[in-house]
Amino acid sequence: MNCENIRQQLPECLAGRLGESARERLIEHLEGCSGCRGELAHLGIVWRGMEALKLEAEPDPAMKERFQATLAAFESGLEQGRLAAVALPAPSRQVPRWAWQLAAGLGVLAIGLAAGRGLAPRPSVTPEIAQLQGQVQSLHQLVALSLMQQQQSPASRIEGVTYAYRMTQPDPQVEEALLYAAGHDPNVNVRLSAVDALDRYAADPNVRRALAATLAAQDSPLAQVALIDLVVKSKDRDCAPALRRLASRPEADEAVRQRAQWAIDQLGIEGESR
Amino acid sequence: MEDEQIMRQVRDGEVNRLEVLFDRHHCALLHYFLHLTGSRATSEDLVQEAFFRVLKYRRSYQTENTFRAWLFQIGRNAYLDHLGRRKNEVAWPAEAPEAASPDAAPDRLMEEKQETALLRQALAGLPPEKREVLVMSRFLDLKYEEIAAALQCEVGTVKVRVYRALHELGDRFFALRGEPLS
Repeated sequence: MNCENIRQQLPECLAGRLGESARERLIEHLEGCSGCRGELAHLGIVWRGMEALKLEAEPDPAMKERFQATLAAFESGLEQGRLAAVALPAPSRQVPRWAWQLAAGLGVLAIGLAAGRGLAPRPSVTPEIAQLQGQVQSLHQLVALSLMQQQQSPASRIEGVTYAYRMTQPDPQVEEALLYAAGHDPNVNVRLSAVDALDRYAADPNVRRALAATLAAQDSPLAQVALIDLVVKSKDRDCAPALRRLASRPEADEAVRQRAQWAIDQLGIEGESR
Repeated sequence: MEDEQIMRQVRDGEVNRLEVLFDRHHCALLHYFLHLTGSRATSEDLVQEAFFRVLKYRRSYQTENTFRAWLFQIGRNAYLDHLGRRKNEVAWPAEAPEAASPDAAPDRLMEEKQETALLRQALAGLPPEKREVLVMSRFLDLKYEEIAAALQCEVGTVKVRVYRALHELGDRFFALRGEPLS
């Protein structure tokens, strides 16, 4: 065996991991090779000296608590995902707000990782990044659906809508949850947020029909104006009957009536039959 | 119960079983990151990130490698992503663990401290990939097979890398002492 092969075994020898036969061959070589003996002596000084560099740092107990919180949030997310897959809105376990915030934070962290890697000069998206992006998307979906449940506080529901807004790809379950929130959420701020988030779904005919029904049934002037603006932005002429009813309804808010008339003008549906 | 058996349970849906593996391995992972980053806060964050990735990628776990090798592979990727985000120079712990025996003579103590400081300086000056392989082999006591799985290379490559890293560490250390080795 030549010196190069022998020297590559020296770290294993110093660590006491070399097998018996290999060790015997090494010793036999060392007996006749002063160069390798010198190398072993020098490396031995370094190897033994490294013992003093071993870290004895004890983990902070808070690390375990933090991990348990992550685990709890992850398990809850899985459970919520299963429930959401069955029906919406679905009953949910009450999850501590901090746990969801942690899950959300980790989601944002994952996005940061994907974005950071995406900025590297690479020719295209690698399968690894695509997988990570897919998992971030799933995580956002889980968090969004869970936070939009009616058992959550209005602030949490708005946070859920925000997560839905951040999703890179449209999702049918999230779409359904947003439509429900836009039409039926008891808090008007949640309704407004949901209308904003529905912008990206407005090209879907089913969403347009649902928006028309929501506009007709809406009782909040603020939400009505937001819905009208969305209808105009998406050039949704299917909402013409609902807009005309709003524009001519005496009991409707004056600002809503004016906005509905403005929308009729914008969409060019004034002269059509009523 | 062995790590691999527990990880199979995690993979198959019993995600809460990961707590057992966290208890067993988070300390080694923390030391790995501490050696690489020199920052306690960053290392703790990376430990959390690594175990979160284990949860996320649990279905991709294959039993051909030990759980420990897979965990360090995931932890290494988390560290590389961290480096990519931060683009910072790798720091090194400022405080040295006390290595000398308490009954050693004061001048000997001082000499050992100086030697340790020089070795720490030499290790910090190694290229990151060489420092990493030494940390895995010398400090974490990982087998070459586990290091190969974590670094996704052949065992023979690990053997060569460890030797070259140790040799270069020696070169740097003896040069700092004013005794060039080669």
